Amino acid sequence: MKTSTYLFKQGYENLKKHGSKTFTTMLIICATMIVLGIFLILVENVNKNVKTVTEGQGLQAFVSDDYLDDENIQQIARKLKDVENVKEVIYLDKDDAFEDAKSTLKEYAYLLDGLEKSNPFPASFIVKFDKLEGTEDVKETIETIDGIYKVGYNETILNAVMSVADIAKVAFFGIGTVMIVISIFIISNTIKLAVYSNKREIFIMRYIGATNKFIRRPFIVEGTLMGLGSAAISWVLVSLGYIAIYARLPKIGSTLGVFGFAPYSELWFVVLIAFILLGVILGMLGSSLAIKKYLKA
Amino acid sequence: MIEFKQVTKKYDHGVIALDNISLKIEKGEFVFLVGPSGSGKSTFLKLVIKEEDPTSGNININSRDLSKLKDKDVPYLRRKIGFVFQDFRLLYDKTVAENIIFALRVIEASEREIRTQLSSVIKQVGLEGKENSYPNQLSGGEQQRVALARALATRPPIIIADEPTGNLDAVTAKGIMDTLYEINTKGTTVVVVTHDQNIIRASNKRVIALDKGKIVSDTKTGGVM
Ligand SMILES: Nc1ncnc2c1ncn2[C@@H]1O[C@H](COP(=O)(O)OP(=O)(O)O)[C@@H](O)[C@H]1O
Ligand SMILES: [Mg+2]
Repeated sequence: MKTSTYLFKQGYENLKKHGSKTFTTMLIICATMIVLGIFLILVENVNKNVKTVTEGQGLQAFVSDDYLDDENIQQIARKLKDVENVKEVIYLDKDDAFEDAKSTLKEYAYLLDGLEKSNPFPASFIVKFDKLEGTEDVKETIETIDGIYKVGYNETILNAVMSVADIAKVAFFGIGTVMIVISIFIISNTIKLAVYSNKREIFIMRYIGATNKFIRRPFIVEGTLMGLGSAAISWVLVSLGYIAIYARLPKIGSTLGVFGFAPYSELWFVVLIAFILLGVILGMLGSSLAIKKYLKA
Repeated sequence: MIEFKQVTKKYDHGVIALDNISLKIEKGEFVFLVGPSGSGKSTFLKLVIKEEDPTSGNININSRDLSKLKDKDVPYLRRKIGFVFQDFRLLYDKTVAENIIFALRVIEASEREIRTQLSSVIKQVGLEGKENSYPNQLSGGEQQRVALARALATRPPIIIADEPTGNLDAVTAKGIMDTLYEINTKGTTVVVVTHDQNIIRASNKRVIALDKGKIVSDTKTGGVM
Protein backbone atom coordinates (compact mmCIF):
# COMPACT_ATOMS: atom_id res chain seq x y z
CA MET A 1 0.00 0.00 0.00
CA LYS A 2 1.44 3.37 -0.98
CA THR A 3 1.74 6.22 1.50
CA SER A 4 -0.91 8.28 -0.29
CA THR A 5 -3.36 5.38 -0.32
CA TYR A 6 -2.58 4.86 3.34
CA LEU A 7 -3.38 8.48 4.14
CA PHE A 8 -6.60 8.38 2.19
CA LYS A 9 -7.63 5.20 3.95
CA GLN A 10 -6.83 6.71 7.37
CA GLY A 11 -8.89 9.79 6.60
CA TYR A 12 -11.78 7.75 5.31
CA GLU A 13 -11.70 5.39 8.28
CA ASN A 14 -11.77 8.29 10.71
CA LEU A 15 -14.87 9.55 8.90
CA LYS A 16 -16.55 6.15 9.14
CA LYS A 17 -15.68 5.66 12.79
CA HIS A 18 -17.60 8.81 13.70
CA GLY A 19 -20.32 8.29 11.15
CA SER A 20 -23.29 10.05 12.73
CA LYS A 21 -21.20 13.02 13.83
CA THR A 22 -19.72 13.21 10.33
CA PHE A 23 -23.22 13.16 8.89
CA THR A 24 -24.42 16.07 11.06
CA THR A 25 -21.30 18.04 10.31
CA MET A 26 -21.76 17.57 6.59
CA LEU A 27 -25.38 18.61 6.96
CA ILE A 28 -24.25 21.88 8.53
CA ILE A 29 -21.58 22.46 5.91
CA CYS A 30 -24.22 21.79 3.25
CA ALA A 31 -26.57 24.30 4.87
CA THR A 32 -23.79 26.91 4.82
CA MET A 33 -22.97 26.13 1.24
CA ILE A 34 -26.57 26.22 0.10
CA VAL A 35 -27.20 29.58 1.76
CA LEU A 36 -23.99 30.96 0.28
CA GLY A 37 -24.85 29.35 -3.04
CA ILE A 38 -28.26 31.07 -3.11
CA PHE A 39 -26.59 34.40 -2.34
CA LEU A 40 -23.97 33.77 -4.96
CA ILE A 41 -26.66 33.03 -7.54
CA LEU A 42 -28.51 36.20 -6.56
CA VAL A 43 -25.37 38.31 -6.77
CA GLU A 44 -24.49 36.75 -10.10
CA ASN A 45 -27.99 37.49 -11.36
CA VAL A 46 -27.84 41.07 -10.09
CA ASN A 47 -24.51 41.52 -11.85
CA LYS A 48 -25.95 40.15 -15.06
CA ASN A 49 -28.97 42.46 -14.76
CA VAL A 50 -26.75 45.44 -14.06
CA LYS A 51 -24.84 44.55 -17.18
CA THR A 52 -27.98 44.26 -19.28
CA VAL A 53 -29.42 47.50 -17.94
CA THR A 54 -26.15 49.33 -18.44
CA GLU A 55 -25.78 48.03 -21.93
CA GLY A 56 -29.31 49.12 -22.73
CA GLN A 57 -28.81 52.39 -20.96
CA GLY A 58 -25.64 54.12 -22.03
CA LEU A 59 -25.04 57.86 -22.07
CA GLN A 60 -26.70 60.51 -24.15
CA ALA A 61 -24.37 63.24 -25.43
CA PHE A 62 -26.21 66.26 -26.83
CA VAL A 63 -24.78 68.13 -29.84
CA SER A 64 -24.94 71.94 -30.19
CA ASP A 65 -26.98 73.10 -33.16
CA ASP A 66 -23.82 74.82 -34.52
CA TYR A 67 -22.10 71.47 -35.07
CA LEU A 68 -24.70 69.66 -37.12
CA ASP A 69 -22.87 69.62 -40.47
CA ASP A 70 -21.68 66.19 -41.64
CA GLU A 71 -18.01 66.90 -41.08
CA ASN A 72 -18.46 67.90 -37.43
CA ILE A 73 -20.83 65.02 -36.70
CA GLN A 74 -18.38 62.52 -38.15
CA GLN A 75 -15.55 64.01 -36.16
CA ILE A 76 -17.52 63.88 -32.91
CA ALA A 77 -18.53 60.28 -33.62
CA ARG A 78 -14.87 59.36 -34.18
CA LYS A 79 -13.80 61.04 -30.93
CA LEU A 80 -16.55 59.30 -29.01
CA LYS A 81 -15.58 55.88 -30.35
CA ASP A 82 -11.99 56.50 -29.25
CA VAL A 83 -12.97 56.98 -25.61
CA GLU A 84 -12.07 54.02 -23.47
CA ASN A 85 -14.91 51.73 -22.39
CA VAL A 86 -17.14 52.93 -25.21
CA LYS A 87 -18.64 50.00 -27.04
CA GLU A 88 -20.98 51.61 -29.50
CA VAL A 89 -22.06 55.09 -30.68
CA ILE A 90 -25.45 55.73 -32.24
CA TYR A 91 -26.34 59.12 -33.80
CA LEU A 92 -29.84 60.49 -33.36
CA ASP A 93 -30.44 63.59 -35.51
CA LYS A 94 -32.95 66.29 -34.63
CA ASP A 95 -35.74 64.52 -36.53
CA ASP A 96 -35.11 61.30 -34.63
CA ALA A 97 -35.20 63.24 -31.38
CA PHE A 98 -38.51 64.81 -32.39
CA GLU A 99 -40.02 61.39 -33.24
CA ASP A 100 -38.68 59.98 -30.00
CA ALA A 101 -40.30 62.74 -28.00
CA LYS A 102 -43.57 62.18 -29.78
CA SER A 103 -43.56 58.47 -29.06
CA THR A 104 -42.69 59.11 -25.42
CA LEU A 105 -45.61 61.47 -25.09
CA LYS A 106 -47.98 58.98 -26.77
CA GLU A 107 -51.48 60.42 -26.58
CA TYR A 108 -50.13 63.86 -25.63
CA ALA A 109 -48.07 64.03 -28.82
CA TYR A 110 -50.42 66.75 -30.06
CA LEU A 111 -48.56 69.10 -27.68
CA LEU A 112 -45.75 69.11 -30.19
CA ASP A 113 -47.96 70.04 -33.10
CA GLY A 114 -46.60 73.03 -34.95
CA LEU A 115 -43.07 72.65 -33.58
CA GLU A 116 -41.83 70.56 -36.53
CA LYS A 117 -40.24 73.55 -38.23
CA SER A 118 -38.38 75.05 -35.25
CA ASN A 119 -37.71 71.57 -33.70
CA PRO A 120 -36.38 72.38 -30.20
CA PHE A 121 -35.01 68.88 -29.65
CA PRO A 122 -31.23 68.56 -29.93
CA ALA A 123 -29.37 65.95 -31.93
CA SER A 124 -27.47 63.49 -29.76
CA PHE A 125 -25.24 60.47 -29.59
CA ILE A 126 -26.22 57.42 -27.58
CA VAL A 127 -22.96 56.07 -26.16
CA LYS A 128 -22.98 52.47 -24.94
CA PHE A 129 -20.47 51.02 -22.50
CA ASP A 130 -18.36 47.92 -22.45
CA LYS A 131 -18.52 47.62 -18.69
CA LEU A 132 -20.19 49.32 -15.78
CA GLU A 133 -17.13 50.50 -13.85
CA GLY A 134 -15.68 53.86 -14.83
CA THR A 135 -18.73 55.24 -16.64
CA GLU A 136 -18.15 58.50 -14.75
CA ASP A 137 -14.76 58.81 -16.50
CA VAL A 138 -16.41 58.25 -19.87
CA LYS A 139 -18.90 60.98 -19.05
CA GLU A 140 -16.19 63.46 -18.08
CA THR A 141 -14.16 62.74 -21.20
CA ILE A 142 -17.15 63.13 -23.46
CA GLU A 143 -18.08 66.47 -21.89
CA THR A 144 -14.77 67.91 -23.09
CA ILE A 145 -15.42 67.07 -26.75
CA ASP A 146 -16.08 70.12 -28.94
CA GLY A 147 -19.69 70.36 -29.97
CA ILE A 148 -21.05 68.38 -27.05
CA TYR A 149 -22.81 70.76 -24.71
CA LYS A 150 -24.40 68.34 -22.29
CA VAL A 151 -24.09 64.68 -21.34
CA GLY A 152 -27.05 62.99 -19.74
CA TYR A 153 -27.44 59.66 -18.12
CA ASN A 154 -30.27 57.95 -16.47
CA GLU A 155 -28.64 57.99 -13.09
CA THR A 156 -31.66 57.03 -11.07
CA ILE A 157 -32.16 53.60 -12.62
CA LEU A 158 -28.47 52.87 -12.70
CA ASN A 159 -27.93 53.87 -9.09
CA ALA A 160 -30.89 51.84 -7.93
CA VAL A 161 -29.53 48.73 -9.60
CA MET A 162 -26.09 49.43 -8.22
CA SER A 163 -27.34 49.79 -4.68
CA VAL A 164 -29.29 46.54 -4.92
CA ALA A 165 -26.09 44.90 -6.09
CA ASP A 166 -24.17 46.45 -3.19
CA ILE A 167 -26.72 45.36 -0.59
CA ALA A 168 -26.68 41.83 -1.97
CA LYS A 169 -22.89 41.79 -1.81
CA VAL A 170 -22.72 43.08 1.76
CA ALA A 171 -25.34 40.57 2.86
CA PHE A 172 -23.45 37.85 1.03
CA PHE A 173 -20.19 38.64 2.81
CA GLY A 174 -21.78 39.29 6.19
CA ILE A 175 -23.94 36.21 6.43
CA GLY A 176 -21.32 34.21 4.57
CA THR A 177 -18.60 35.07 7.05
CA VAL A 178 -20.74 34.12 10.04
CA MET A 179 -21.74 30.80 8.49
CA ILE A 180 -18.19 30.01 7.45
CA VAL A 181 -16.91 30.64 10.96
CA ILE A 182 -19.62 28.40 12.40
CA SER A 183 -18.81 25.68 9.88
CA ILE A 184 -15.10 25.78 10.60
CA PHE A 185 -15.82 25.49 14.30
CA ILE A 186 -18.11 22.50 13.78
CA ILE A 187 -15.72 20.71 11.42
CA SER A 188 -12.94 21.33 13.89
CA ASN A 189 -15.03 19.80 16.67
CA THR A 190 -15.79 16.70 14.64
CA ILE A 191 -12.17 16.22 13.67
CA LYS A 192 -11.17 16.66 17.30
CA LEU A 193 -13.05 13.41 17.95
CA ALA A 194 -10.85 11.68 15.41
CA VAL A 195 -7.76 13.34 16.80
CA TYR A 196 -8.78 12.28 20.29
CA SER A 197 -9.37 8.66 19.35
CA ASN A 198 -5.97 8.65 17.64
CA LYS A 199 -4.17 10.33 20.54
CA ARG A 200 -2.10 7.25 21.22
CA GLU A 201 -0.98 7.02 17.62
CA ILE A 202 -0.11 10.70 17.58
CA PHE A 203 1.87 10.36 20.79
CA ILE A 204 3.86 7.42 19.43
CA MET A 205 4.36 9.12 16.08
CA ARG A 206 5.87 12.14 17.77
CA TYR A 207 8.34 9.93 19.62
CA ILE A 208 9.31 8.12 16.46
CA GLY A 209 9.99 11.42 14.71
CA ALA A 210 6.92 12.24 12.66
CA THR A 211 6.86 15.74 11.27
CA ASN A 212 3.86 17.90 12.12
CA LYS A 213 2.93 17.81 8.47
CA PHE A 214 2.80 14.03 8.50
CA ILE A 215 0.70 13.91 11.68
CA ARG A 216 -1.66 16.53 10.33
CA ARG A 217 -2.18 14.94 6.92
CA PRO A 218 -4.79 12.24 7.61
CA PHE A 219 -6.90 14.77 9.49
CA ILE A 220 -6.59 17.31 6.70
CA VAL A 221 -7.61 14.56 4.30
CA GLU A 222 -10.58 13.79 6.54
CA GLY A 223 -11.63 17.45 6.70
CA THR A 224 -11.16 17.96 2.99
CA LEU A 225 -13.17 14.84 2.17
CA MET A 226 -15.98 16.18 4.33
CA GLY A 227 -15.77 19.55 2.62
CA LEU A 228 -15.71 18.09 -0.88
CA GLY A 229 -18.51 15.65 -0.11
CA SER A 230 -20.63 18.51 1.17
CA ALA A 231 -19.73 20.57 -1.90
CA ALA A 232 -20.96 17.81 -4.19
CA ILE A 233 -24.23 17.33 -2.29
CA SER A 234 -24.86 21.08 -2.05
CA TRP A 235 -24.16 21.58 -5.72
CA VAL A 236 -26.61 18.89 -6.76
CA LEU A 237 -29.30 20.30 -4.46
CA VAL A 238 -28.78 23.92 -5.52
CA SER A 239 -28.68 22.95 -9.19
CA LEU A 240 -31.88 20.91 -8.99
CA GLY A 241 -33.55 23.68 -7.00
CA TYR A 242 -32.64 26.44 -9.44
CA ILE A 243 -33.58 24.41 -12.47
CA ALA A 244 -36.92 23.54 -10.85
CA ILE A 245 -37.94 27.12 -10.08
CA TYR A 246 -36.29 28.73 -13.13
CA ALA A 247 -39.31 27.98 -15.31
CA ARG A 248 -41.46 30.22 -13.12
CA LEU A 249 -38.96 33.07 -12.83
CA PRO A 250 -38.84 36.12 -15.10
CA LYS A 251 -36.03 35.65 -17.61
CA ILE A 252 -33.21 38.09 -17.87
CA GLY A 253 -33.60 40.64 -20.70
CA SER A 254 -37.13 39.48 -21.53
CA THR A 255 -38.77 42.65 -20.21
CA LEU A 256 -36.73 45.81 -20.03
CA GLY A 257 -36.50 47.29 -16.58
CA VAL A 258 -37.72 44.12 -14.86
CA PHE A 259 -35.30 42.03 -12.86
CA GLY A 260 -34.75 38.75 -14.65
CA PHE A 261 -32.93 35.51 -13.94
CA ALA A 262 -30.17 33.93 -16.00
CA PRO A 263 -30.43 30.32 -17.16
CA TYR A 264 -28.51 27.79 -15.02
CA SER A 265 -26.18 27.04 -17.89
CA GLU A 266 -24.61 30.45 -17.15
CA LEU A 267 -24.32 29.78 -13.41
CA TRP A 268 -23.50 26.15 -12.66
CA PHE A 269 -19.77 26.52 -13.13
CA VAL A 270 -19.37 29.51 -10.80
CA VAL A 271 -21.42 27.73 -8.15
CA LEU A 272 -19.47 24.50 -8.52
CA ILE A 273 -16.09 26.22 -8.28
CA ALA A 274 -17.27 28.27 -5.29
CA PHE A 275 -18.47 25.12 -3.50
CA ILE A 276 -15.29 23.18 -4.19
CA LEU A 277 -13.10 26.04 -2.98
CA LEU A 278 -15.29 26.54 0.05
CA GLY A 279 -15.24 22.82 0.82
CA VAL A 280 -11.47 22.59 0.62
CA ILE A 281 -10.93 25.76 2.65
CA LEU A 282 -13.46 24.81 5.33
CA GLY A 283 -12.07 21.30 5.59
CA MET A 284 -8.45 22.35 5.79
CA LEU A 285 -9.00 25.17 8.27
CA GLY A 286 -11.30 23.08 10.45
CA SER A 287 -8.90 20.17 10.66
CA SER A 288 -5.81 22.33 11.16
CA LEU A 289 -7.58 23.93 14.07
CA ALA A 290 -8.52 20.55 15.56
CA ILE A 291 -5.01 19.13 15.47
CA LYS A 292 -3.14 22.27 16.50
CA LYS A 293 -3.06 21.46 20.21
CA TYR A 294 -1.38 18.10 19.60
CA LEU A 295 1.45 19.44 17.51
CA LYS A 296 3.59 21.36 19.96
CA ALA A 297 7.11 20.07 19.54
CA MET B 1 27.25 11.42 21.27
CA ILE B 2 25.20 12.67 24.23
CA GLU B 3 26.68 15.56 26.19
CA PHE B 4 25.11 17.49 29.07
CA LYS B 5 26.85 20.64 30.26
CA GLN B 6 25.64 22.02 33.60
CA VAL B 7 22.07 21.17 32.80
CA THR B 8 19.33 22.18 35.21
CA LYS B 9 15.67 21.38 34.64
CA LYS B 10 13.10 23.10 36.76
CA TYR B 11 9.43 22.28 36.10
CA ASP B 12 6.69 24.87 36.19
CA HIS B 13 5.72 24.24 39.79
CA GLY B 14 9.27 24.77 40.97
CA VAL B 15 10.31 21.11 41.13
CA ILE B 16 13.99 20.82 40.32
CA ALA B 17 14.13 17.53 38.41
CA LEU B 18 17.77 17.86 37.34
CA ASP B 19 20.29 19.96 39.19
CA ASN B 20 23.41 21.09 37.36
CA ILE B 21 24.16 17.82 35.55
CA SER B 22 27.27 17.39 33.41
CA LEU B 23 28.06 14.14 31.64
CA LYS B 24 29.21 12.68 28.39
CA ILE B 25 28.12 9.42 26.78
CA GLU B 26 30.35 8.35 23.89
CA LYS B 27 29.32 6.73 20.65
CA GLY B 28 28.90 2.98 21.10
CA GLU B 29 28.69 3.11 24.91
CA PHE B 30 26.19 1.17 26.99
CA VAL B 31 25.00 3.09 30.04
CA PHE B 32 22.64 2.28 32.88
CA LEU B 33 20.86 5.20 34.48
CA VAL B 34 19.70 4.34 38.00
CA GLY B 35 18.19 6.11 40.96
CA PRO B 36 15.10 6.19 43.13
CA SER B 37 11.72 7.18 41.80
CA GLY B 38 11.56 10.92 41.21
CA SER B 39 15.34 11.32 40.93
CA GLY B 40 15.09 12.75 37.40
CA LYS B 41 15.84 9.77 35.15
CA SER B 42 12.85 10.24 32.86
CA THR B 43 13.48 13.96 32.76
CA PHE B 44 17.00 13.23 31.54
CA LEU B 45 15.63 11.13 28.68
CA LYS B 46 13.02 13.77 27.79
CA LEU B 47 15.75 16.36 27.51
CA VAL B 48 17.71 14.09 25.14
CA ILE B 49 14.79 13.90 22.70
CA LYS B 50 13.93 17.57 23.27
CA GLU B 51 10.50 16.80 24.60
CA GLU B 52 11.51 19.19 27.35
CA ASP B 53 14.03 22.01 27.22
CA PRO B 54 16.56 22.62 29.99
CA THR B 55 16.05 25.62 32.24
CA SER B 56 19.77 26.27 31.97
CA GLY B 57 22.88 24.58 30.55
CA ASN B 58 23.59 22.98 27.20
CA ILE B 59 22.80 19.65 25.60
CA ASN B 60 24.60 18.32 22.54
CA ILE B 61 23.41 15.26 20.65
CA ASN B 62 25.69 14.13 17.83
CA SER B 63 27.54 17.44 18.35
CA ARG B 64 24.35 19.40 17.70
CA ASP B 65 23.35 21.98 20.25
CA LEU B 66 19.70 21.25 21.01
CA SER B 67 19.02 24.84 22.04
CA LYS B 68 19.77 25.85 18.45
CA LEU B 69 17.51 23.17 16.99
CA LYS B 70 14.40 24.59 15.36
CA ASP B 71 10.99 23.08 16.16
CA LYS B 72 10.66 21.73 12.67
CA ASP B 73 13.97 19.88 13.00
CA VAL B 74 13.03 18.10 16.23
CA PRO B 75 11.40 15.16 14.37
CA TYR B 76 14.71 14.53 12.60
CA LEU B 77 16.54 14.49 15.94
CA ARG B 78 14.03 11.92 17.19
CA ARG B 79 14.62 9.71 14.16
CA LYS B 80 18.18 9.31 15.41
CA ILE B 81 16.95 8.08 18.79
CA GLY B 82 14.89 4.93 19.27
CA PHE B 83 12.72 5.18 22.38
CA VAL B 84 11.44 2.18 24.38
CA PHE B 85 8.89 2.62 27.18
CA GLN B 86 8.18 0.54 30.27
CA ASP B 87 4.57 0.03 29.11
CA PHE B 88 5.57 -0.81 25.50
CA ARG B 89 3.23 1.77 23.93
CA LEU B 90 2.11 -0.48 21.12
CA LEU B 91 -0.91 0.03 18.89
CA TYR B 92 -3.26 -2.75 19.91
CA ASP B 93 -5.41 -2.68 16.81
CA LYS B 94 -2.38 -3.36 14.66
CA THR B 95 -0.41 -6.58 14.23
CA VAL B 96 3.26 -6.91 15.11
CA ALA B 97 4.24 -6.27 11.51
CA GLU B 98 1.86 -3.31 11.24
CA ASN B 99 3.26 -1.74 14.40
CA ILE B 100 6.74 -1.87 12.90
CA ILE B 101 5.56 -0.69 9.48
CA PHE B 102 3.82 2.20 11.24
CA ALA B 103 7.18 3.46 12.48
CA LEU B 104 8.68 3.17 9.02
CA ARG B 105 5.80 5.07 7.48
CA VAL B 106 6.19 7.81 10.03
CA ILE B 107 9.73 8.44 8.81
CA GLU B 108 8.43 8.17 5.24
CA ALA B 109 10.53 5.16 4.32
CA SER B 110 10.20 3.69 0.83
CA GLU B 111 8.14 0.53 0.28
CA ARG B 112 11.33 -1.35 -0.45
CA GLU B 113 13.00 -0.13 2.72
CA ILE B 114 9.90 -1.08 4.70
CA ARG B 115 10.08 -4.66 3.42
CA THR B 116 13.77 -5.18 4.12
CA GLN B 117 13.77 -3.46 7.52
CA LEU B 118 10.68 -5.32 8.69
CA SER B 119 12.17 -8.78 8.21
CA SER B 120 15.55 -7.66 9.51
CA VAL B 121 14.28 -6.28 12.84
CA ILE B 122 11.83 -9.16 13.33
CA LYS B 123 14.83 -11.48 13.15
CA GLN B 124 16.97 -9.21 15.34
CA VAL B 125 14.51 -9.32 18.26
CA GLY B 126 13.56 -12.95 17.73
CA LEU B 127 9.90 -12.54 16.78
CA GLU B 128 9.88 -14.74 13.69
CA GLY B 129 6.48 -16.29 13.19
CA LYS B 130 4.70 -13.66 15.27
CA GLU B 131 4.40 -11.06 12.51
CA ASN B 132 0.65 -11.40 12.18
CA SER B 133 -0.18 -11.68 15.87
CA TYR B 134 -1.81 -8.84 17.71
CA PRO B 135 -0.03 -7.46 20.81
CA ASN B 136 -2.76 -8.83 23.08
CA GLN B 137 -1.94 -12.34 21.90
CA LEU B 138 1.68 -11.94 23.04
CA SER B 139 3.44 -12.17 26.42
CA GLY B 140 4.85 -9.04 28.07
CA GLY B 141 8.36 -9.95 27.00
CA GLU B 142 7.25 -10.44 23.42
CA GLN B 143 5.39 -7.13 23.47
CA GLN B 144 8.53 -5.38 24.63
CA ARG B 145 10.37 -7.07 21.76
CA VAL B 146 7.85 -5.57 19.37
CA ALA B 147 8.50 -2.16 20.90
CA LEU B 148 12.23 -2.78 20.56
CA ALA B 149 11.81 -3.85 16.94
CA ARG B 150 9.81 -0.71 16.26
CA ALA B 151 12.54 1.44 17.78
CA LEU B 152 15.23 -0.37 15.76
CA ALA B 153 13.33 -0.30 12.48
CA THR B 154 14.37 3.25 11.70
CA ARG B 155 18.06 2.35 12.37
CA PRO B 156 18.71 4.97 15.04
CA PRO B 157 22.32 5.37 16.25
CA ILE B 158 20.99 5.79 19.80
CA ILE B 159 18.51 3.62 21.71
CA ILE B 160 16.97 4.94 24.89
CA ALA B 161 14.89 2.67 27.12
CA ASP B 162 12.95 3.92 30.14
CA GLU B 163 12.62 0.94 32.52
CA PRO B 164 12.14 -1.52 29.66
CA THR B 165 12.05 -4.49 32.00
CA GLY B 166 9.98 -2.86 34.72
CA ASN B 167 6.87 -4.88 33.88
CA LEU B 168 8.65 -8.16 33.17
CA ASP B 169 9.74 -11.17 35.20
CA ALA B 170 13.46 -11.85 35.69
CA VAL B 171 13.89 -14.42 32.94
CA THR B 172 12.03 -12.37 30.36
CA ALA B 173 13.92 -9.27 31.48
CA LYS B 174 17.22 -11.00 30.90
CA GLY B 175 16.13 -11.86 27.38
CA ILE B 176 15.34 -8.21 26.62
CA MET B 177 18.66 -7.09 28.12
CA ASP B 178 20.56 -9.63 26.03
CA THR B 179 18.95 -8.20 22.92
CA LEU B 180 19.97 -4.70 24.00
CA TYR B 181 23.56 -5.83 24.61
CA GLU B 182 23.63 -7.40 21.20
CA ILE B 183 22.32 -4.22 19.57
CA ASN B 184 25.07 -2.35 21.41
CA THR B 185 27.82 -4.65 20.11
CA LYS B 186 26.77 -3.66 16.60
CA GLY B 187 27.64 -0.06 17.39
CA THR B 188 24.41 1.46 18.68
CA THR B 189 24.69 3.70 21.74
CA VAL B 190 22.30 2.44 24.41
CA VAL B 191 20.98 4.20 27.52
CA VAL B 192 18.82 2.10 29.83
CA VAL B 193 16.98 3.36 32.88
CA THR B 194 16.44 0.54 35.36
CA HIS B 195 15.74 -0.27 38.98
CA ASP B 196 16.85 -3.84 38.67
CA GLN B 197 20.04 -4.41 40.69
CA ASN B 198 20.38 -7.97 39.39
CA ILE B 199 20.62 -6.76 35.84
CA ILE B 200 23.21 -4.13 36.72
CA ARG B 201 25.30 -6.53 38.80
CA ALA B 202 25.22 -9.17 36.06
CA SER B 203 26.71 -6.71 33.59
CA ASN B 204 29.94 -4.77 33.64
CA LYS B 205 28.52 -1.65 32.04
CA ARG B 206 28.81 1.97 33.02
CA VAL B 207 26.29 2.99 35.70
CA ILE B 208 25.25 6.57 36.33
CA ALA B 209 23.26 7.04 39.54
CA LEU B 210 20.94 9.97 40.10
CA ASP B 211 19.42 11.15 43.31
CA LYS B 212 17.29 14.25 43.78
CA GLY B 213 18.38 15.49 40.38
CA LYS B 214 22.12 15.16 41.01
CA ILE B 215 24.63 12.60 39.76
CA VAL B 216 25.69 10.74 42.89
CA SER B 217 27.94 8.23 41.17
CA ASP B 218 29.30 7.34 37.76
CA THR B 219 31.33 4.14 37.45
CA LYS B 220 33.20 5.56 34.48
CA THR B 221 34.38 8.83 35.94
CA GLY B 222 35.34 7.39 39.30
CA GLY B 223 32.88 5.24 41.14
CA VAL B 224 30.90 6.62 44.00
CA MET B 225 31.09 10.38 44.33
N1 LIG C 1 5.89 17.38 33.50
C1 LIG C 1 6.24 17.57 34.79
N2 LIG C 1 5.79 18.66 35.46
C2 LIG C 1 6.12 18.89 36.72
N3 LIG C 1 6.93 18.08 37.43
C3 LIG C 1 7.43 16.97 36.82
C4 LIG C 1 7.10 16.67 35.48
N4 LIG C 1 7.73 15.52 35.14
C5 LIG C 1 8.42 15.14 36.22
N5 LIG C 1 8.24 15.99 37.25
C6 LIG C 1 8.87 15.93 38.57
O1 LIG C 1 10.27 15.95 38.39
C7 LIG C 1 10.89 15.03 39.28
C8 LIG C 1 11.68 14.01 38.46
O2 LIG C 1 10.78 13.20 37.73
P1 LIG C 1 11.22 12.07 36.74
O3 LIG C 1 12.24 12.64 35.84
O4 LIG C 1 10.01 11.48 36.15
O5 LIG C 1 11.92 11.04 37.72
P2 LIG C 1 12.16 9.47 37.56
O6 LIG C 1 11.96 9.09 36.15
O7 LIG C 1 13.57 9.28 38.03
O8 LIG C 1 11.21 8.78 38.46
C9 LIG C 1 9.77 14.42 40.09
O9 LIG C 1 9.69 15.16 41.30
C10 LIG C 1 8.55 14.63 39.26
O10 LIG C 1 7.41 14.78 40.09
MG1 LIG D 1 10.67 7.69 35.28
